Amino acid sequence: MKENSLWKDAFRRLVTDKFALGSLLIVLTYAIVALLAASGLIAADWAKEVGGSNLPPSTEHWFGTDIFGRDVLAKLIRGTQIAMSVGLVTSLIAIPIGVILGALAGYFGGWVDDVITWLYTTFSSIPNIMLLISITMILGKGIFAVYIALGATSWVTLCRLIRGEVMKHKEREYVQAAEAIGGGHFRKLFIHILPNVTHIVIINTSLQFQFAIKSEVILSYLGLGVQGEPSWGTMIDDAKLELSRGVWWQLAGATLAMFVVVLAFNLLGDALRDSLDPKLKGK
Amino acid sequence: MKPLVLLVSALLLVFGCSKENKFDEREINLISPEKIAGFDPINASDRYSGNETGKVYEGLFEFHPLKRPYELMPNLAESMPTVSEDGLTYTVKLRRGVLFHDSPAFKDGIGRELKADDVIYSLKRLADPKLNAKGWWLLDERLVGLNEWRAKHALLDVTNYDEVIEGLQKVDDYSIQMKLKKPFPQFLYALAMPYTFIVAKEAVEHFGKQFLNYPVGTGAFILPKFEQTSTITYVRNPKFREKFYPTEGEEGDDKLGLLADAGKKIPLVDKINVHIIVESQPKWLSFMKAKEDLLEVKDVNIQQTITPEKELKTEHKEKGVRLIMKPMLDVTYFAFNHEEPIFKNRKLRQAMNMAFDRAGFNRLFHENTGFEAHGPVPPGLGGNRKEFKNPFIRYDLDQAKRLLVEAGYPGGKGLPTIVVQTRSDTVARQQVEFFEKSMEKIGINIDVGTNTWPELVNKVTKKQHQMYTMAWGADYPDAENFLGLLYCPNQSPGSNGANYCNPDFDALYKTATVLQDSPERTAMYEKLNESVALDAPWVLGFHRTDIYLAQAWLKNFKHMEFNHSQFQYLNVDLEVKKQLSKKF
Repeated sequence: MKENSLWKDAFRRLVTDKFALGSLLIVLTYAIVALLAASGLIAADWAKEVGGSNLPPSTEHWFGTDIFGRDVLAKLIRGTQIAMSVGLVTSLIAIPIGVILGALAGYFGGWVDDVITWLYTTFSSIPNIMLLISITMILGKGIFAVYIALGATSWVTLCRLIRGEVMKHKEREYVQAAEAIGGGHFRKLFIHILPNVTHIVIINTSLQFQFAIKSEVILSYLGLGVQGEPSWGTMIDDAKLELSRGVWWQLAGATLAMFVVVLAFNLLGDALRDSLDPKLKGK
Repeated sequence: MKPLVLLVSALLLVFGCSKENKFDEREINLISPEKIAGFDPINASDRYSGNETGKVYEGLFEFHPLKRPYELMPNLAESMPTVSEDGLTYTVKLRRGVLFHDSPAFKDGIGRELKADDVIYSLKRLADPKLNAKGWWLLDERLVGLNEWRAKHALLDVTNYDEVIEGLQKVDDYSIQMKLKKPFPQFLYALAMPYTFIVAKEAVEHFGKQFLNYPVGTGAFILPKFEQTSTITYVRNPKFREKFYPTEGEEGDDKLGLLADAGKKIPLVDKINVHIIVESQPKWLSFMKAKEDLLEVKDVNIQQTITPEKELKTEHKEKGVRLIMKPMLDVTYFAFNHEEPIFKNRKLRQAMNMAFDRAGFNRLFHENTGFEAHGPVPPGLGGNRKEFKNPFIRYDLDQAKRLLVEAGYPGGKGLPTIVVQTRSDTVARQQVEFFEKSMEKIGINIDVGTNTWPELVNKVTKKQHQMYTMAWGADYPDAENFLGLLYCPNQSPGSNGANYCNPDFDALYKTATVLQDSPERTAMYEKLNESVALDAPWVLGFHRTDIYLAQAWLKNFKHMEFNHSQFQYLNVDLEVKKQLSKKF
């Protein structure tokens, strides 16, 4: 019998799950849209007036126009680029911090563990949104501050998970075997243990992404996020007042865009856990 | 299933019993769109604290509720003061028999009579360095000896209120003499502002730090204790002196029913409820459910209120709702920071004025109810000449581009990106975004800087901005209050946040502002207003319109810019309320 590798197996299980596959496709679509927008191929002229103020959705402008007569769809696309870039960059910041600190704490234990545990308990005891607000206050407003603020606050969960997992693994036979043939700390930790906990990182990334997207929207809604660029948060903020005039399309568009991508990431995260966690194998 | 049924019925109990409108109580329901920080008159710096403070406290003078143009009348003072020939000495006679509200601060808890000492004490409190009063600017450098008294006590541990000041002396228990350092024709207006409302020394000392929560005034209404709740309830002052509804007003007031209560003793109602509602939509809904008697309509709700022809919409007319629209004494502007080298360039400032699409702005943000400002002084004040047309507020992109070339920045080349600081709320941000789009058309790049209100004030005070947006409302009906925004000695941290300095303007300003109201002074004000407008110290915005909706049963409401004393005259027609409430 042909034995599949863990990854092949996981992938097979993922694609047979319709929800997971759908979510994956949605996420990929968002990613492609974001890339196209970033390269300036689409929605480059979002700031251009294309019609009257607050026009309802039509065949020409699917999501209508905003108060300045700008196409809401173009703003949504531009917002997608911002949202996805925030998700990506914060993940790139948070994951290395979480993984390295978690692995060190779990592997070495002792005072290293104490220090790192103290660090992340302190971080997690501060209400997230407060920390975000104070960081944006210090760094000034703008997308860069959002990256840093979200990256610096969202590594805690991953760190905790990796620490626990590494603790479990470091006593396993394969690690002992590695030690027996003369493997050092670095080798044991990064060559042997880490690959065996990667699935946690992957699942976490998916959840991390949607957390970052949601937080960016909240920050922008509060006026602390991106400045001078359309973000879903600023669009919802605009819509707050427009709603009483019966202008619902901007709110609907931004909420829908956020809802779909957050839901997709959540479903994908669940599906990834189902397919990657060896303990759930065969279920 | 049972718990669910219970839950549903519990919810019904909670939401089903919402308060019904009452038709037997003579009460008035009003809205305050801002939280009230407290009731200490010396800190009543914004309109909304002033409105609340004015229900409990009173000043020596008050604006006539009906007469326009605005006219002062004696209130706690018995008559208008006698002013010496040189305009420096004011003698004020006090009304007899004015009682403070009953309060545990007084002996036996019974309010005593107001005397000259109380007036002197209240004015000195504004200057007390320990209290750091927000209203100090009003008396700064005005009364003889007051600044010295303030400076001296800044170094001492305890402020000695008994020390006699030359400029503020008691003649007898019912008259006070005030001496000014130099003529200040607006002085009587200052004595009608909430800052100078009269407090009792016993109350200040009895309540100490809590004084701001225990207002003890002489006004028509009583508030025993102020708590940070969503409703403030004032009750009629049973011992209020004999004060009567005015018998004359502006032409036409009679027809509007504003004189129906002429000669009656005020207050005319038993209770005033002030609901604190910050968000615009809940305010609107509450008024539409007849839970409020008066609504100040802002921004987005304007479209729901009036038709494009500026008529009240029929759905409101059917309910008897009245529309009150009056131009405000205010001006909005985008101020340049004149300490930035680029803004020393007049042609650049003029170009930016001409590139600002005011018609579009008015349509989007004011529903066309704003009036384009040709200068800082709003219509309705001496100094604003109807015939004066500022050529630089005309929307003309070609001319703006030409000016920009002459300024040395063809097509905006060579200019840095200019950050315009504003508040972070939605409309404020959108307004600057609109400005950004306007300037883009002549090649000038603008960025929006959003700030909380304290942050913005801080940036302006410390001159850490390139441009910022502001709206200035009149403190009193005198153009000096607007022209002062551009007077060099008033620059940050004063009210001249643009840090504009123009020696010619300053010299004429100095001469004009010490004159009593006269055609000569008006001519000087006009010259000041027009010359400075042509120099384009700001990108001028609008003089806005106040829009109010009043329920049919609310009587005696007339639009008033300085409305803190107006609430004592309001009345309610319960019959009308009963009949109309079926329509809500």
